[in-house]
Amino acid sequence: MSAAAAPSARRPDAYWGMAVFLVTDAVIFLLLLVAHAFLRRQGHGPGAGALSAAAMLPWSAALWASSAALVLAPRVRRAWASAALYGLGALLGAAFLLGQGLEYRHLLAQGHTVTSDLFFTGFYTLTALHGLHVFLGLPLLTALATLAARGRLTERRAGFREAATLYWHFVDAVWVVLYAALYVWGGP
Amino acid sequence: MSLILPTSPPESGRVARWLASTDHKAIGILYVLTGMVFMLLGGLEALAMRAQLARPNATLITAQTYNEVFTLHGTTMIFFVVMPMLLGFSNYLVPLQIGARDMAFPRLNAFGLWLTVMGGLLLYASVLVGPADAGWFSYAPLSEKPYAMGEGTDFWIAALLFAGFGTTLTAINVIVTAIRYRAPGMGLWQMPMFAWMAFVNAFIITFALPCLSAALLMLEVDRRLGGHFFSHGGSALLWQHYFWLFGHPEVYIMILPAWGIISEVIPVFSRKPIFGYEFVAGSSVAIALLSFAVYAHHMFVVGLGRPVNLAFAASTMLIAIPTGVKVANWVATLWKGSIRFELPMLYALAFIVQFTFGGVTGVSFAVLPIDWQVTDSYYVVAHMHYVLMGGTIFALLSGLHYYFPKVTGRHLTRSLGMWSFWLVTLGFNGVFLVQHALGLMGMPRRVYTYPDLPGWGLLNVLSTLSAGLLGVGMTMILWNILRSLRVGEVAGANPWNAWTLEWWCASPPPPGNFTDLPPIRSRRPLWDLAHPEDTDADRPRRHDQTHGHIRPEEREHHQ
Ligand code: HEM
Ligand SMILES: [Cu+2]
Repeated sequence: MSAAAAPSARRPDAYWGMAVFLVTDAVIFLLLLVAHAFLRRQGHGPGAGALSAAAMLPWSAALWASSAALVLAPRVRRAWASAALYGLGALLGAAFLLGQGLEYRHLLAQGHTVTSDLFFTGFYTLTALHGLHVFLGLPLLTALATLAARGRLTERRAGFREAATLYWHFVDAVWVVLYAALYVWGGP
Repeated sequence: MSLILPTSPPESGRVARWLASTDHKAIGILYVLTGMVFMLLGGLEALAMRAQLARPNATLITAQTYNEVFTLHGTTMIFFVVMPMLLGFSNYLVPLQIGARDMAFPRLNAFGLWLTVMGGLLLYASVLVGPADAGWFSYAPLSEKPYAMGEGTDFWIAALLFAGFGTTLTAINVIVTAIRYRAPGMGLWQMPMFAWMAFVNAFIITFALPCLSAALLMLEVDRRLGGHFFSHGGSALLWQHYFWLFGHPEVYIMILPAWGIISEVIPVFSRKPIFGYEFVAGSSVAIALLSFAVYAHHMFVVGLGRPVNLAFAASTMLIAIPTGVKVANWVATLWKGSIRFELPMLYALAFIVQFTFGGVTGVSFAVLPIDWQVTDSYYVVAHMHYVLMGGTIFALLSGLHYYFPKVTGRHLTRSLGMWSFWLVTLGFNGVFLVQHALGLMGMPRRVYTYPDLPGWGLLNVLSTLSAGLLGVGMTMILWNILRSLRVGEVAGANPWNAWTLEWWCASPPPPGNFTDLPPIRSRRPLWDLAHPEDTDADRPRRHDQTHGHIRPEEREHHQ
């Protein structure tokens, strides 16, 4: 596509479809988070104290940076640059997953499992569900990168582009909340 | 999304073409058929329970089997009968009523259908490993590992997750379709009543279904990975909160499209426009919002504390207002109408009576001391069946008889239809009316047998015998459908003289639905077309000006 295509005044259907879907998704995350916040008082372990906000920050920053890449991608002039930005987004997402894997290994080695404590029941459920969302987003971003590289991310595919982009921004935004609630917040 | 795939598959057998179709009409019909197949299963389960309960101290089936059967029955009826049928109606009707060619996302639509079917198959696959036995509400910790060791509950969870996701996809489709694909000239306030209710319903689905999904995910984490959400330090009450935060809106998910059908049928067979369109449509929005605010009325007896109970009691009474507004509008539509007692109308009238009755017992629950007395008794069973069966299923039957000519091009056989109507109506009331009394006499629900207390045996055997009648009636409806497909009288495009768009195209509608559309300037475009001298567009409030009296021109349209 001409990467600089003016954003159409009318959002494509797929964008709105994705938006409604993400509302349902947000409700799931919200209820899980409320359950977690409500139950973590009853935990017995170190809870949030076992997590290191600083150690997780670089990986989180990678994820957030990927959203920035996606904002830029449709605005740059050249097709290859656009493709590279989508590709970068996917790579940063993959990096986040790697970080999450390392985090899990670290925690499990210390004996913090789903069963060990109420805090961690909620922690693993929330982060795994979020990780699954990131994982499902990777093929979408890869597809965007491939289409862009071949010059086939035309207006006809605006629906796919906008829906996938919205999805990814949502996943990143959820991580802002989760990072704050799990890593930063000391608990009730 | 806009990948380029052919919308219709290459030449293949007729069945395969149906199954692979992405046409909203084919999908709608397949949903209804799915619902019918599961209705057969759910109905047999109901008869098994009634057989066991016919006499006191009976031992036809064991307690364990009874638990499994009532779990399967409840889950089947709610998720695999009522929901698929209603989604089927939405899929079939919404595009036709708003003058669209198809849903916004046809392939996603087909995917949603197959997810729902998959869910149903999973539920019944669980029969091989021992089905879930904790009820359709699966209260924790009864649904947790130590109390439900088998894999039945895991199948149950998977089944509901699949079906729930399918339902969500339909909701997305309905929302985008209703917003984006209305025919030129049709504002939101010109949409036919069914489309309106389906539209509002899609929003309830959007917010309610994920509450169930979240609860199911948490339960599965507990069961599979040893988490502690609902037991071992977690909170069993949390399950009830999340389940009913879904569960109560769910009952409105099940009644809203039913109201939509009734609001189509009553005006057509009274020869009057619906009374108070804005109120009928608008009160749905009020209900959508309130439905989340009343959910804890299912938990009056768990000890939430007085202020909480009072708040939920008050909101529960409030929700009866917009509900009552609808009933009042239907009755006002009937008032001095020129009523035709065709089959769809008979079911609609039975609906009004039975649904109102169920609503009244619902309000009685909002009075806390009454609820404390009768909760978990057969009084609740009676209430839920009056609204769900006497309400939703009767509305579905009304819609089935009303739209059968549109879908198939043929009429259902009237005599057979009359017999089945009376059997079903008498049977239904026979089964459940007496259960109010049983509940007041203290018979608890979810029990597989009961002692021989005075009166219990007699009322229970009445209930079981009526269940037999009901079963015969339902079977006759099925027979009528199969028979009329071949020998039914040919219907034509608009057999009932209705005025909304779906009656504009041929019966059955061709692929793509419409070749042309009439100008849409009011809620009844076909009326405007037939009466250029006195259109709704010129006189939008005709019922106000005629004080509810039928207009002479309307009466002419007696067939
Ligand atoms: C005026 C409207 C209504 C009111 C005020 C109302 C009120 C209630 C209350 C307070 C309960 C809880 C009783 C208890 O467990 O102690 C209840 C149960 C129930 N209601 Fe309603 N209701 C209304 C309409 C409906 C409708 C329209 C439906 C379905 C189409 C419905 C389906 C049910 C079901 C299935 C249950 C039992 C759930 C279970 O325990 O498994 N209700 N209702
Ligand atoms: Cu309720």
